[in-house]
Amino acid sequence: MPHFEKIEYKPIPVRELLLEMKNLSELMIDLAYSAALFNDKDLAEDIMELEARVDTLAYLLDMEIMVAARDAKDAEALIRVSIVAAATDKISDAAADIAGIVTHDIGVHPIVSQIFEKVEKHLTKATVKEGSVIAGKQIGKLDFKSRLGVDIIAIRRNKDWIIDPKDSERVFRGDVLITRGAPQGVKDFKELAEASMAKLEGQR
Amino acid sequence: MTEQKQFEEIVERMVELKDTSELMIDLAYSALMLNSKELAEEVQRLEEYVDELHTRFELLALTSDFKKEEASGFLGLIRIGVATEKIADAAAEMAEVVLRGIEPHPVLKLAIKEAEETVAQACVTSDSILVNKSLKEARVHEETGMWILVIKRGGKPLRPKGDSRIEVGDVLIASGYARGVDALRRLASPEETCTI
Repeated sequence: MPHFEKIEYKPIPVRELLLEMKNLSELMIDLAYSAALFNDKDLAEDIMELEARVDTLAYLLDMEIMVAARDAKDAEALIRVSIVAAATDKISDAAADIAGIVTHDIGVHPIVSQIFEKVEKHLTKATVKEGSVIAGKQIGKLDFKSRLGVDIIAIRRNKDWIIDPKDSERVFRGDVLITRGAPQGVKDFKELAEASMAKLEGQR
Repeated sequence: MTEQKQFEEIVERMVELKDTSELMIDLAYSALMLNSKELAEEVQRLEEYVDELHTRFELLALTSDFKKEEASGFLGLIRIGVATEKIADAAAEMAEVVLRGIEPHPVLKLAIKEAEETVAQACVTSDSILVNKSLKEARVHEETGMWILVIKRGGKPLRPKGDSRIEVGDVLIASGYARGVDALRRLASPEETCTI
């Protein structure tokens, strides 16, 4: 039986709660597919924790909305916010379902790798090798989001996953990075990380 | 159907399920942000399409000639399929909010605007290098980090394919990291201003 904490009302703006729910739910989908694709149990377990976080946020948001509604008009406008928040919660549930395939040792048939070769947004795992131009650099400074359309969604350092690393986070030799982005972008990124490409060329 | 062919079919359907369910989330947020009934209706249409696709996918997976030791792996695939369908459902529920009329509370737009992945629109002016390029040639994602979800032409939303050409006056609706929004607008309308 999981432990369910009591969730007390906290005055946090609805906007902030919804923002975190939206960001987390979308991140979780990509993380969950990554966990399934790379058959990574630790990552899948971290997704379960994120799911619990989204559940807490959903409680807090609904309480905030109830406190905020003063009349029928408010209620009509706010119910819509509540429904959208519930949908982000459902998306995070779906991500946890995918992670559950990994945590429950069901596994995914090997054709899953063919599937992920063909989808629009690619997910890649790359280890930062010695001599890579990205080793020791801050994620924000590398600015892969705008240069390659690639986002680092998780870093495995030693035994732990750092989920959704901040711009100030540095990448080090030996880190395992999971990235998402367009096929060419993640390919270039992998080559940079693994030091088979020295630097980015042909940037307009 | 040969075994090889059946496997290819399973891969194709799954790819479509995953891509469509994610497109639907982006479209649903776009519909909310722009309060657009057309986009919300498009999400509803896609939801019906995903339901059909999902059934076809499950039937293919269940009737494929897998070996006993592959059963668990196939179960994993089927469960991913169920998850994509759940994601599509969630997107449809968001879009429904728009179709029910009353303007949602402003915090909703604010949250979408400030999110890590946001949606934005840009219109294509005659001085843009995008004009007359196909989506594939335009390389918008590589240049800006934004994915074009929909092209609005003459008020109608078109779902773009790689060979769709961009025309003057098109409104591009795109999703991506917030910092890509300005880059997209510079690309679409460099000097001329336009109002949407």
